[in-house]
Amino acid sequence: MTLRFTVNGVAHQVDPARGDERLIDFLHDDLDLTGTKFCCGIGVCRACTVSTLRPPNDAAVPVVSCSTPLAMVDGLQITTIEGVAPPGDLLPIQQAFLRTFSFQCGYCTPGFVMAAQIFLDSLARARALPADLDKAIEAAIGPHICRCSGYARYYAALRDTAEALFAKKG
Amino acid sequence: MEVGQAVPCKSFHGISREKITMSGTDIVTKPPGPAIRRRRFVSGAAGLVGISILGPPMIARSAAAAPSGPAWPSIPGVAQERIDGRIKVTGQKVFARDFNARNLGWGATQWHAMYLPALTTAHAFMGVDLSQLPAEARPKRVVLGNHLKRSVAVPRLRRARDLHMEAAHREAQVLSAGATAAATATFDRTLEFDLIVQPGNAPNYLGQGVALLMFGTMASYRAARRFMQFRDTEFQTYAGEVAPSSGLAQPWPPQTAYVKYFEDGESFSYATVDSVTYRANVPAWRGRIDAYLARHPEFIRQPLSVDTQAMDPMFMEPESGLAWYDAATSRLSLLVGTQSPDGDAGDVATMYGAADSPLKVKEVVLHGCPPGGGFGGRDSSPFSLLLALTAAFSGGAPVKLMHDRWEQFRYGLKRPGARIRGTLVAGPDMKLRGIEATLDFNGGGLRNLSPYVANLAALCIGGAYEIPTANIVAQSFHTQDITGGSQRGFGGPEAFLAIETALDDLAAGKGWDPIALRRANLANSSSRTVVGGPVGQELRLAEMLDRAEAHPLWADRAAIKVQLAARGVAYGTGIAMSLQAYGTSGDGMVAAVMIAPDGRLTVRSDAVDMGNGSTTTFSVVVGPILGANAETVEMGSYRLFGETGLATDASPGDWTNPRWTAKGVGSSSACLTALHQVHTLQQTASALMQGSLLPAARMMWGRPDLRRADVDWIDGALAMRADPTRPIPRAALARTIYQKRLPVGALGHGFFQADWVAADYAVEGGDIRLQLDGLSFYMPDDNEPVFMTRRNTTAPPAAVRRYSRYAWAPCVNVVGLTVDRRDGRVQVENVLSVLNAGRVLVPELVSGQSQGGVAMAIGYTLLEDMPGGNTGPANGRWNLDRYHVPRWSDVPLLPAYRPGGRAQELIVLPESPQDGGAARGIAEAVMCSIAPAISNALRDAVGRRYTSLPITPAKVLEGLGS
Repeated sequence: MTLRFTVNGVAHQVDPARGDERLIDFLHDDLDLTGTKFCCGIGVCRACTVSTLRPPNDAAVPVVSCSTPLAMVDGLQITTIEGVAPPGDLLPIQQAFLRTFSFQCGYCTPGFVMAAQIFLDSLARARALPADLDKAIEAAIGPHICRCSGYARYYAALRDTAEALFAKKG
Repeated sequence: MEVGQAVPCKSFHGISREKITMSGTDIVTKPPGPAIRRRRFVSGAAGLVGISILGPPMIARSAAAAPSGPAWPSIPGVAQERIDGRIKVTGQKVFARDFNARNLGWGATQWHAMYLPALTTAHAFMGVDLSQLPAEARPKRVVLGNHLKRSVAVPRLRRARDLHMEAAHREAQVLSAGATAAATATFDRTLEFDLIVQPGNAPNYLGQGVALLMFGTMASYRAARRFMQFRDTEFQTYAGEVAPSSGLAQPWPPQTAYVKYFEDGESFSYATVDSVTYRANVPAWRGRIDAYLARHPEFIRQPLSVDTQAMDPMFMEPESGLAWYDAATSRLSLLVGTQSPDGDAGDVATMYGAADSPLKVKEVVLHGCPPGGGFGGRDSSPFSLLLALTAAFSGGAPVKLMHDRWEQFRYGLKRPGARIRGTLVAGPDMKLRGIEATLDFNGGGLRNLSPYVANLAALCIGGAYEIPTANIVAQSFHTQDITGGSQRGFGGPEAFLAIETALDDLAAGKGWDPIALRRANLANSSSRTVVGGPVGQELRLAEMLDRAEAHPLWADRAAIKVQLAARGVAYGTGIAMSLQAYGTSGDGMVAAVMIAPDGRLTVRSDAVDMGNGSTTTFSVVVGPILGANAETVEMGSYRLFGETGLATDASPGDWTNPRWTAKGVGSSSACLTALHQVHTLQQTASALMQGSLLPAARMMWGRPDLRRADVDWIDGALAMRADPTRPIPRAALARTIYQKRLPVGALGHGFFQADWVAADYAVEGGDIRLQLDGLSFYMPDDNEPVFMTRRNTTAPPAAVRRYSRYAWAPCVNVVGLTVDRRDGRVQVENVLSVLNAGRVLVPELVSGQSQGGVAMAIGYTLLEDMPGGNTGPANGRWNLDRYHVPRWSDVPLLPAYRPGGRAQELIVLPESPQDGGAARGIAEAVMCSIAPAISNALRDAVGRRYTSLPITPAKVLEGLGS
């Protein structure tokens, strides 16, 4: 059966014979969407994180595209770094990463943006900051590897953005 | 130097000069610049091969047009965000791995390359057997070592990393072979090995290529990769045991020996005598040191000992690139992320410039992409040559070579493992009297930069202290392991670990306060390093120790320990200092600044931004000089040195020759930004200011007498101090500049060796004196910059050449950590870093380098555990599931210390007048003394000394049990 999924709102149909191909290779080779970064290829570093949604569930979940075969994305709505923000705009978390100089080489940044946004969306749905925000941040972003920055500024940016989100929501 | 034709950016067919808006970030294709540019040429047997180095296909520009962000850059001298930030935070194409031939206008066809690695050095490689590959995974070509022409098989590589080391090697050649060898000043060809092993020969090292597989499609490449992964032995055949590679277990040249004796009114050192005298008298002075120490039985002899393994830089982007030979133009194009674009392109040009070259290459074009991390691991990496080689076997199609992570572990340059043994000698008055040390590094398979690393380690092992006698030997050995290169710290981390742990043991053994012991021996600007040269620069070490000593992390350490002990937690505090040198023994720098007709500024540099932020820094440091930050910064983009009109080969040492300089440019390291590159850029910007903008203002105001000191930039307009009511906007100045044919750009070259070369240059309105040894002006509509002849040149005295280093970034680190006695796990709880950074140009970048350095040091000190040989990454089975780099939870994240929290607090000393407004290169400084601070804290916590890195839980438990 043909594999059907969307990437950044665009529908794709893929021959099931390609079901064992990696999602990241499809993004890179077929769609020329290279914002999703390849690093370890075994799902450890999470640089290749994309956001996926399986309707009718409205909660996006992060997926490591380097270790996810196309067969497993059938029916998913996939968002990559290229589609995560409205055209011509930046997400608050992207602005925060810029403002705080969170990243250096920037190769891990798309993965951090995707995971951070999923986390922030989950906070928005919960309508409350978790009791232990630091622990929640670590659970969401802690597994991501950054080799340049030492994480301190990613942490500061995400915490600030989470708190601002709440302050704004009142 | 010759003049070549234009180098239109082939890769931008169809999109040249177009502006593209993607996801809110403005990016522009790289402007080709003046139509005709000088290029560098490499002379080969087959003729001259031109080299052009271009930037990545798309470069970050002003964010001003982005709808959601602040205008870049609004405040001169201030960075509100990274200038390259938006293109990265939105995931646009910027890294080499992001590009395929179709993105570059190189056509729809793209081949893919894969090297097969040597699996042993004890057996002769006989060939490959790919018969079991399924049809869809078959390569179109299989290239073995005997298919290569000689010049390509063993390419001759340039060696120009460090003037001090090249001189040392020449000296050794003089002594061993006479003056003829010195004249050639090249390294022995036998130091280089086959890119691809010749069938019948034993590989020289693990991971050396034994075959190059060329695939016609991505699909066949991926199919082969899936089929062959982790099954290496099934595709290669080897014969019986053979003799190992020549040179195995031998040191790479040159070796380093620093013998220093400044006692009893006598003096001898490397830096203070000539090379012949030095070499002839080293044995005698070693004897004098021994005799001196023997005369003082009261001296305390403290052993020092360090063992480290190879470490992977683990930059996030595995090496990747594209190569294409276009027969129609005889041009070889490469796209790659490298820290050494000039050197890599030169090596490739040399390889393909030989008479037997398989390709007739007239020009090598290198598109340098920002590396996705570097840390030294992309400095002179073999990857660029391996990539270039593929272009000869694709039938004219572009080729992509991209490592996966297993391959990156298998092939990529490593921080060389080290073994250090020695003795630190002190008197009962706490004064250090001598240091003896042997530093052996595992250089691995290729003579990369490991001998240079050993050389700097020999200097660093003297620490931040005045030590009157020294007997230090440092060398790097050829082994079968993966090639050791340079990595962040460049030998400093190992050396400072040795002396700082020995000092701590010395203090503990004598009951001395560890800070008091350090304070009793601090170096200052008039101290002499173990090389013998004066420190020269103000250090402020005592002030730094004072700050550390007064900080509650140190001052309250006993109370914290007691509190935690009451809860059953083992806690310890350690302190360590480092005095990391930045720059090399003589650095050439080049920079250009252009003003557009609308007044916008562009900076060009041959430097590479590995993420350290030099692009951003370059933009803002011209702001105070030219009234606005540069809106465009082109990094690693042009062979700027080729345009300077300078050369390094004619009349060596003759600074009276205005076209000679001691060094063109070198590889990029993060530490070279703050002082070396920034100063050259600022001097160049000053040249443009005084040679163009100021003359334009004089014309517009009708005030030919105005000097630079008579004007100020106010809100982007130039104003007379005496009459600020008639400011001239920069755009108006620019219009006048173009109308009156004043310079529209300046190209400067600087040379630093203890001091800057300075010279007078004649510009409109009179002479100006600049700390540049080369200056050219770009004129409107002219294709080539106009060379300005330097006059009244002052250069550093010849004696300083033997000092080795001249610029220092001191740091004191205090670490508080906990140890779980049950499982041996160590957690760094708090770090305090006191840093002398000179002038801070971009505070966020300085603290960012500090934070990244702390994390990286925690990694190699506690986590990153990787053996050598066939159980290590050479077996192709190493990835991040086995090689554990620091995660979020391993690193203190808060910015300020508070009891009970986990923070890394950075105290940057306020700028000193003696800095003269200069910044210091600090990218390695903080990292260098983290490991000894951790080891010292561990000793404080559990009473055991650990100097074998990484200090794994197993080692901790073993120590606790012993």
